[in-house]
Amino acid sequence: MRTSSASYRNVGRLAAVLAVGACMSSAATTGGSNRSETPAAMAGRTDAAGQQRAPVASDRRAQVLRGRALTIEHACNGCHGGADPAAAGYLAGARGPQDDFLIGPCATTPGATPCFKTRPRNLTPDNITGLGRFSERQIFNALRFGLRPGETPDVEITSTVPGQGNFPAHPKYLAPPMPWPSWRHMPDQQLWDIAAYLKYGVKPVRNKVADSEGPPDFWASAYTPDKIGAYPAPPFPTANEKEPE
Amino acid sequence: MASHRWLFRFPPFALACALLPLGAAAAQGHDHDEPRAASASGRRSTSTPPRRGPSSVGATRAADDPRTVELTLTAAPARLALRPGGPPTEVYAYNGRVPGPTLELREGDRVVVHFRNALPRPTTVHWHGLHIPSDADGSPFHPVAPGASHDYVFTIRRGTAGTYWYHPHPHHDTGAQVARGLYGAIVVRAADDPLPASLAERVLVLSDNRFDADGAVDLPEAGSPRARMDAENGREGDVLFVNGEVMPTLTIRSGEVQRWRVINASAARVYRLALAGHTLLQVGSDGGLFERPVKVEEIMLGVGERAELLVRGTGAPGSRSELRALPYDRYIPQTRPADWDVTRPLLALRYSSKPPVAAVALPERLRPVPPLDTTRVTATRVMTLTQHLINGRSMDMARVDVSASLGATEIWEVENLVGMDHPFHLHGFQFQLLDRNGVPEPYRSWKDVVNVPKHETARFIVRYDDYPGKWMFHCHILDHEDHGMMGVLEVRP
Repeated sequence: MRTSSASYRNVGRLAAVLAVGACMSSAATTGGSNRSETPAAMAGRTDAAGQQRAPVASDRRAQVLRGRALTIEHACNGCHGGADPAAAGYLAGARGPQDDFLIGPCATTPGATPCFKTRPRNLTPDNITGLGRFSERQIFNALRFGLRPGETPDVEITSTVPGQGNFPAHPKYLAPPMPWPSWRHMPDQQLWDIAAYLKYGVKPVRNKVADSEGPPDFWASAYTPDKIGAYPAPPFPTANEKEPE
Repeated sequence: MASHRWLFRFPPFALACALLPLGAAAAQGHDHDEPRAASASGRRSTSTPPRRGPSSVGATRAADDPRTVELTLTAAPARLALRPGGPPTEVYAYNGRVPGPTLELREGDRVVVHFRNALPRPTTVHWHGLHIPSDADGSPFHPVAPGASHDYVFTIRRGTAGTYWYHPHPHHDTGAQVARGLYGAIVVRAADDPLPASLAERVLVLSDNRFDADGAVDLPEAGSPRARMDAENGREGDVLFVNGEVMPTLTIRSGEVQRWRVINASAARVYRLALAGHTLLQVGSDGGLFERPVKVEEIMLGVGERAELLVRGTGAPGSRSELRALPYDRYIPQTRPADWDVTRPLLALRYSSKPPVAAVALPERLRPVPPLDTTRVTATRVMTLTQHLINGRSMDMARVDVSASLGATEIWEVENLVGMDHPFHLHGFQFQLLDRNGVPEPYRSWKDVVNVPKHETARFIVRYDDYPGKWMFHCHILDHEDHGMMGVLEVRP
């Protein structure tokens, strides 16, 4: 079992609340990124040195840098590897049993069941063991909807209701503790930026991570709206909130 | 002929075993111009007495046209006792048998199959592995309506002798039809077969199934949790059959060498085969013989794959052995069955009490398997496999996924991106594996299925010879195929 000091690796706490999204405060933020900046708006700009850069490359680079900032501040590396982007194994996934998470009562009570070992996947763009063969849209769908890219067609999803709008009738979700229930509230563009960074801003590392264990429903019963809340979030103010005075 | 005599001595298995006298005679080259084409095997309808020989499938070989084989094949509901001691089961059967009759063909044969669909649903007959025209391939593009008939006409090309099989291939319905009993073996023989004609031969069709308490084939209701589990893993059954028999007994004599043709006709089960106390000689795979025999302790037979084995009777007179399916973890952890690690016995091999026979000389070289020319490769096709998807897409009959020219040589790089094995099958053209996960294939062979293990890559080279048209490629876990894990290769003339 993983024993890092980082608070969101507190798997015992995770296990106590299988509705994993609730275990962790959302790290979603708009800081450091320009939500209104679209690739079209940036086309043909000049860089700091006054050099005209190829629009496409410039857009891609700017997007990758935005994705990098988001990836760092959301601490993707905290589970998926590397203390910072210069560290060995950065985002390359679990390196062995020491990186396993224990999900279920066994995290606090050895031997208790159910007990699932889940493992941070290799997020580098290696074609076989990482995200290389998955499209940006499949990565987007993983972050927004929690859908495993290996089980989800490369299509635009326009619904959160199973069976509607390309949302799978029997969705298969990423294993806990991946905090997608929180991060899905990030703006579209930020999720696309992260996908672009993982696909185009990181070198591929071949590291085969064994598949995470999990219940046969692929966590569908753990990720119901009553456990992870509504998406999008209900309008402000709810009964628990108030307009600032 | 000695090989016939002892077959008859053990009728329960002899009836189920695919080798029947006429076929064996043909194998020995004694009656090449006699009527022959299809011998019978399998569990027969309880209402029909066992019959054998060409008449069982209505096969004829006209005296004035000995190279043409005509036979009648009917797919129809039947009621058979599949399990010993169990109640009869409503099945679908080819010519009243499960498995269907073994089709015995020869290189050069022109084959005319008069097929009739007496099922209440559309079907096709796919001649798995045969290099034949696309309109005779029995693909989902050519369904045969309920009550309709269709003639499948094709010629068996030289150099394609080997072990094949046939089964339905209708879109979205293959798994259910195979589960109900529609599958059978095809043996294609060469006039210049290098192995001694004296070797007794067995065709072993491996399948599995599961049943309700009342004996019905257990096919869970669509959308139910169990159906979803089948969709995920592929449907496996707890009852393992060899030629429709549970744990049959084969006999062998000390010193004798037998030639086994093994077919994995299961929807999803992978067989890691081992014969206790024996080292096997593998002499061939999907598309026929290797260049030389290969010694193996066990054989992995993925879904749809075939193996030709030489079993050498190294046991003592009166002893017994067992062919077993060893555990193999092809599953993702979420849906791995609890009993995946159980070793399952498939058949008993009983040594006769007679003294050993003299050793048979086996050839060191079997036949040339000329390598496809990698310098002529004009394209590399990357196929990514995930659950139910190829390249992130689901099967669309109106879409062409790969377009190529007749005669082109190409490499297919099949990458499995998920934690479950997927057996990848290409219709119409035998290919040669180049490497698996970067490790060069140790010997050349003709293949039409390659099992791609979880998170691994297989590369093969293929040349689209002779037959233009639309061809399927798909995962041969039938539930995956039915859920759209399939694509279309169009070979343009």
